Amino acid sequence: MLRLRTLLLLLPLLTPTAMADSRQPTHSYTLDNGLNVIIREDHRAPVVVSQVWYKVGGVDEPPGQTGLSHALEHMMFKGSEHLEPGQASRLLSSLGASENAMTNRDYTAYYQMLSRDQLPVALEMEAERMHLLTLPEDEFLKEIEVIKEERRMRVDDNPNGVAYERFLAQAYTASPYAQPVIGWMHDLDRMQIEDLRAWYKSHYVPGNATLVIVGDVYPETVKPLVERYFGAVPAGPLPVVRKPLELPVIGERSLTQHLDLQLPSLLLGFNVPSLNTVSEPWEAHALRLLDAVLDGGYSARLPSHLERGDAIATSVGTGYDAFTRGDSLFVFSGIPNEARDIDLPTLEAAIWKEIDAIKQAPPSAEELARVQAQVVAGLVYAQDNIMQQANRIGELVTVGLPWQLVDNDIEALQAVTPEQVSEVARRYLVRERLTRSYNLPNAREEQQP
Amino acid sequence: MSQSKPFSVLRWLIALVALGGMLFLLMERAPDSQPAPDTPAVAQAPDDGPADTATEVFGSPLPALSSLEELDLDTPPARRGLDLQHWQTRQGTPVYFMHAGELPMLDIQLLYAAGASRDGELPGLAMFTNAMLNEGTGSLDAGDIAAGFERLGAQFGNSSHRDMGLISLRTLTAADKLDPALTLFAQILSKPSFPEASLERIREQLLAGLRYARQRPGSQASEALWSTLYPDHPYGIPPDGTEDSLKAISRYDLQRFQQTYYSAGNAVIALVGDIDRARAEQLAQHLADAMPQGPAAEPTPPAEKIAASSQHIDFASSQTHVLVAQQGMSRTDPDYAALYLGNQILGGSGFGSRLVEEVREKRGLSYSVGSNFSAMQAPGPFVISLQTRSDQAEQALEVVNQTLDRFISEGPTDAEVNRAKQQLLGEFPLSTASNSAIVAQLAAIGFYDLPLNHMQLFLDRVQALTATDIREAFARHLPASERVVITVGPPQPPAEPEDNADQPSAAAEQEPSA
Repeated sequence: MLRLRTLLLLLPLLTPTAMADSRQPTHSYTLDNGLNVIIREDHRAPVVVSQVWYKVGGVDEPPGQTGLSHALEHMMFKGSEHLEPGQASRLLSSLGASENAMTNRDYTAYYQMLSRDQLPVALEMEAERMHLLTLPEDEFLKEIEVIKEERRMRVDDNPNGVAYERFLAQAYTASPYAQPVIGWMHDLDRMQIEDLRAWYKSHYVPGNATLVIVGDVYPETVKPLVERYFGAVPAGPLPVVRKPLELPVIGERSLTQHLDLQLPSLLLGFNVPSLNTVSEPWEAHALRLLDAVLDGGYSARLPSHLERGDAIATSVGTGYDAFTRGDSLFVFSGIPNEARDIDLPTLEAAIWKEIDAIKQAPPSAEELARVQAQVVAGLVYAQDNIMQQANRIGELVTVGLPWQLVDNDIEALQAVTPEQVSEVARRYLVRERLTRSYNLPNAREEQQP
Repeated sequence: MSQSKPFSVLRWLIALVALGGMLFLLMERAPDSQPAPDTPAVAQAPDDGPADTATEVFGSPLPALSSLEELDLDTPPARRGLDLQHWQTRQGTPVYFMHAGELPMLDIQLLYAAGASRDGELPGLAMFTNAMLNEGTGSLDAGDIAAGFERLGAQFGNSSHRDMGLISLRTLTAADKLDPALTLFAQILSKPSFPEASLERIREQLLAGLRYARQRPGSQASEALWSTLYPDHPYGIPPDGTEDSLKAISRYDLQRFQQTYYSAGNAVIALVGDIDRARAEQLAQHLADAMPQGPAAEPTPPAEKIAASSQHIDFASSQTHVLVAQQGMSRTDPDYAALYLGNQILGGSGFGSRLVEEVREKRGLSYSVGSNFSAMQAPGPFVISLQTRSDQAEQALEVVNQTLDRFISEGPTDAEVNRAKQQLLGEFPLSTASNSAIVAQLAAIGFYDLPLNHMQLFLDRVQALTATDIREAFARHLPASERVVITVGPPQPPAEPEDNADQPSAAAEQEPSA
């Protein structure tokens, strides 16, 4: 299950998305037109990843136009001046290259992974569609139907997807993170090709983008290639990139959702800062450690106490993404163990017990040592995968953080004291910051004999 | 590797519930690409005569891109050197090894013929056993084991599939990390204790997993597919079990299964990382010694052929999931290369493949569409799958049937074949770039008893194929008289009588698609 694995990689635990170490030479510079370029050498295999990251995502979309960034991402494969719709994909596929794109709240990114000798092809195609996209209306009319199918598959026919979409719409109040990246269906219904043309024109300029190249390359040979293809892209006016900010304290929110679920589930989300919005960076790192102490592995507290231990939960876990452009969420989720007649309030109470425990007593030295061992090993393991390295660098830079974090992140974590982990729990895991969602199987189901 | 069913029910549910939202925070645009094939070890350029390779591969006219003109397509892309090695332990356990000294880490993958096809009368037994392996050994409980690995930064993995059970370890190679990680790993192989407390908890989680699958139309479709294609065959056994069987499985059943199937005679050991040959030999022997000593399981026999049919399963969804399937090929089929290459052209390689072009690109009918051969120990299924808004399901099915029928009767074009060959050559360096990819390929070579130079042989065979070879192989393996159609979605309008339910679905030409 490719997608599931993608999900797991995204779990903002400390370990798996961790990064390569500083032994790998990394070169960062800016072209005259404003394009930010980061080249990281990795000579283990004669392959290379090339990615272009744009600072535009769901968070930038005005109300009524949700889904624009993602729809534009789809249309980026539908032709540019010298390439027919779909032609670039077919060419890359013929070469054996793998390519794809992703749209997130904070960014839109395109990537190719190919043999190092083929890198110029990826660069030329990517540079061309940075400024010469055709955006034909007939292609759009077909593609918007594909996007609606995508929404049906991922969200509308997936009750967990629906539950989480609505939960986010409650958990964020002032922040546009409340909006779904794929767009509300009614916004997809009224989207026009002109909307996409305007979106493309205003956001796809070199100064709003970062080119990340990781693999078996040397700057002496790659820099001229980058200049040759991307240097030709004209500079344009820079869009304003705003950090999505949330209110400091909103008040407790609660929703009950009845869905076509087989198993009830619980979501508890606390409004917390990200590394980008926090005034004291240690707080964000302490929240990451808190996440790991609670759910960073099968020996962490929630699996140990709630899945094993009292067997209150069929599954339970936490998630916190510190590397976002704006204010973030610290989320607990769980499925109560119905075989032992555990209901949602009982599971929630058990989670609160864990929260209170860590507020009162800092994590043990052994717990933190375990987290750090995983982070340190993760640094090595991450080097086995150049795509993962490139993703990490591109994401950091695009949300407004320095790419050097891939190399010195471990020090930041090591600087956090156990008491600080308790302190962030006390500051942030409080009811005024809480959004709770009880997701229940439809009553219709229960009425059946 | 073949058909897979990631176990870890619990981490799985978490990911879906907790960060189900990530589904729409971060999405990939293209259909899922197929898992990496076992790819060739030493590549050669396609042996094409005077014709211009670029035109053959990219079509004509070439787009006006300077980088394409400068590309040297007649020289195969550079690749990582692969020094693959093979030997047996004293018990006869095959070992596959590659030294990779660039990073101070080691990947171990153990495959056993211990998949759901060995469940017998107790569906779910293989998965249940696999899930219990790290729940206790000797004096250690699940928490001790997990903490033991995690404090070393080591990553333990286990999963259960139809053909195989898998156990893996990724660890640093510094002695203070490697030695204790291996000690713990060997304990799991030698004396899993199947503690009662874990047993009941895992049972509950598996039962919850069964219920969870009921809310997913894709799971419903997949279950129907396997039970329809393999009615009296081990592949028809639901790997997740049934409510009754999961409740019936006892501690003794689990112990017996582990003793029988997680044995040294039934295992393949694959190692890739920063250890030398001598250490690898010693390590492999140590692991094999730790396992129960026992023989290899009998290979799974081929299934009886089944006749064409179609069935619809009602499900309250906005889309209908459409599967077109039949029994396909085994991993050792002489037509493996021809079917593999042909499937790339038909629907296995994403954009540019016929199904994606016809269903998605020309008609906008589906986000994800593709075809796949699950090449297993016995012939596994060939499946075309898509999802589409329910009122379009019939149209989509017609397009699929027409595309498949045409491909079988006419075969691919020479241009498509050349393009697909070039594609496989180009993919090779990517599919061997990481240690994790290589260890998985080595394990599969061992499991399916393929020659050590299999990757090379595969490539050679691919480069020698013609369009006729592919057409004939498809015609041999995919007769329309065995084609099964499964749809899952809202009730179908009762426009047509149900009496055509057992007719071959290839007879779908009533209405040419738009």
